[in-house]
Formats: sequence, C-alpha cells, structure tokens
Amino acid sequence: MKYGKLSALASIMTAAVMLAAPAHADVDTDFANQLHTYGIYGQRDYNAWLAKITCKRLGNGLDSSAEKSAVFLSHNLPRGTDTAQTWQFLAAAIDTYCPEQQPVLTAVAEPNR
Amino acid sequence: MHRLRLTRIPLVSRAVIAVLTGAFAATAFPAIGAADATDDYPIPHRIIVTTCTAEQILAAARDFAPIYYERYVIDKHNKSPEVQQAAIDNAHYFFSLSPQDRRAYSEQMVTNFADPMTASWPNWAKVFFNNKGVSAKETENCANYPPDDTSVWDG
Repeated sequence: MKYGKLSALASIMTAAVMLAAPAHADVDTDFANQLHTYGIYGQRDYNAWLAKITCKRLGNGLDSSAEKSAVFLSHNLPRGTDTAQTWQFLAAAIDTYCPEQQPVLTAVAEPNR
Repeated sequence: MHRLRLTRIPLVSRAVIAVLTGAFAATAFPAIGAADATDDYPIPHRIIVTTCTAEQILAAARDFAPIYYERYVIDKHNKSPEVQQAAIDNAHYFFSLSPQDRRAYSEQMVTNFADPMTASWPNWAKVFFNNKGVSAKETENCANYPPDDTSVWDG
C-alpha cells in the first residue's frame, strides 16, 4: 500500500518534469536559433547578452535611435557581419528582449510619418 | 688514482655536460624573471602611454567591449560604496601619472600584494589592465569621448 502511494507520487513527479521542459523553452536558445536563420553564429550567451545590452541602451537613452543601435552592434558583432545582418540582429533583439522598443524600428521603416 | 680529472672525460661528454648546464640555467632564470613587470604586464603598454582619462577609457569600453564592461560594472556594484569610491580614486590617480610613473606603478603592482585596494577588490582595475585586446579597443576609441563624464562608472 505504502509502496503503491510512493510509486503513484513518483509517476506524477516524472510527468511534471517531462511536461515542464517543453513549456519553458530557453529564450536565449530561441534567439540563437533565429540568428542562425540569418547566418549569424557565434556564442549563444555572448549574442544574448549583446542583445540585452542593446535593449538596455535603448531603454536608458544612450542610443536614441535604431540607427545608433545599429552602429553599436556593428562594432560588436563578428567581423564580416554585413549591414543587413546587423539590422536583422537588432530587430530580433527587440522582438525577443524588449518588444516595447518596437517604435524605434517603425520610425526607421516609416521616416515620413 | 681514483680522482676524476677533467682531462679524462671525453670531449663528447664534456659537450653534453655543457648543454645540460645551459639547459638548467635556462629553466632556472625565467622563474626569477616572472616576478618583474614587462612592457605589457601587468599593465598593457597602450594603457601606459594613453592620454585618455579613466572616464574616456570606460566610455570606449562601454561601446566597444560592452560585455567586458558590463561584467566590470556588475562586479563594482557588488562592492561597498567605500570600496567603489576607492577604485574610482585609484583609477584617477593612475591616469594622472606620466607614462614613466605608470611604468613604476606597474612594477609595484606585481610585487606589492599588501596594497589595500587590491586586497579589498582584486579586480578593481580589470577593465583597464587585464586584457590586451580590450585595452586596444579602449585606447583606439577613447579620445572621442568627454573626459569627465562620471556616469560611465555606473553603466
């Protein structure tokens, strides 16, 4: 009887562990996977931190526009990263880590509005 | 006559002994040399000769070595306010020195482990001294920043 209870508990816990994993996919991994589709590689943690710093700089006004973010990124992405990839990194960083900064991207896309 | 005379040792053996003595000397001397400062150690040459202030160096680190810079600022914020201020004062003092005096300071740094600043925060100057690649980026770009913007100490 006691054993039966224990094994029931164990199977519930196993199920909980197994179900929890897919529900909480790592954000940094998702970000890295997205970068891979743009041909941007490099260390996952480095890229994630660089993206978070980019958000922080937009948030505290150190970079006052998306163009300034792109300049910052161009200094810190690997040599050989082209302009298109730099902007793809920026858009992905904003989407992933600071969606509230979307307007800075729209401001570049629609300069006359 | 059991005494070993040099003349009895064949020429080839003498050559071997000479080589071994030389090898021994070569391994023995670097150990002594390692306690000295060099042109790039513990303070990179570019930091010794730069005319930038600590604030200009930090601003360049923020923009050109952002992760290294963030780590430093996080580390700094984990220290007491007194230790943080001491680090700022020490950096101001260092960058006020002439290259010759910085070189002397560098010599002191490798030998004086009792320095209270180093004792309370061993990595207090990491962002300035520890990485040649980072200090190259800092010194290449520092001249483009204001010399006295103290906000760079807090990221």
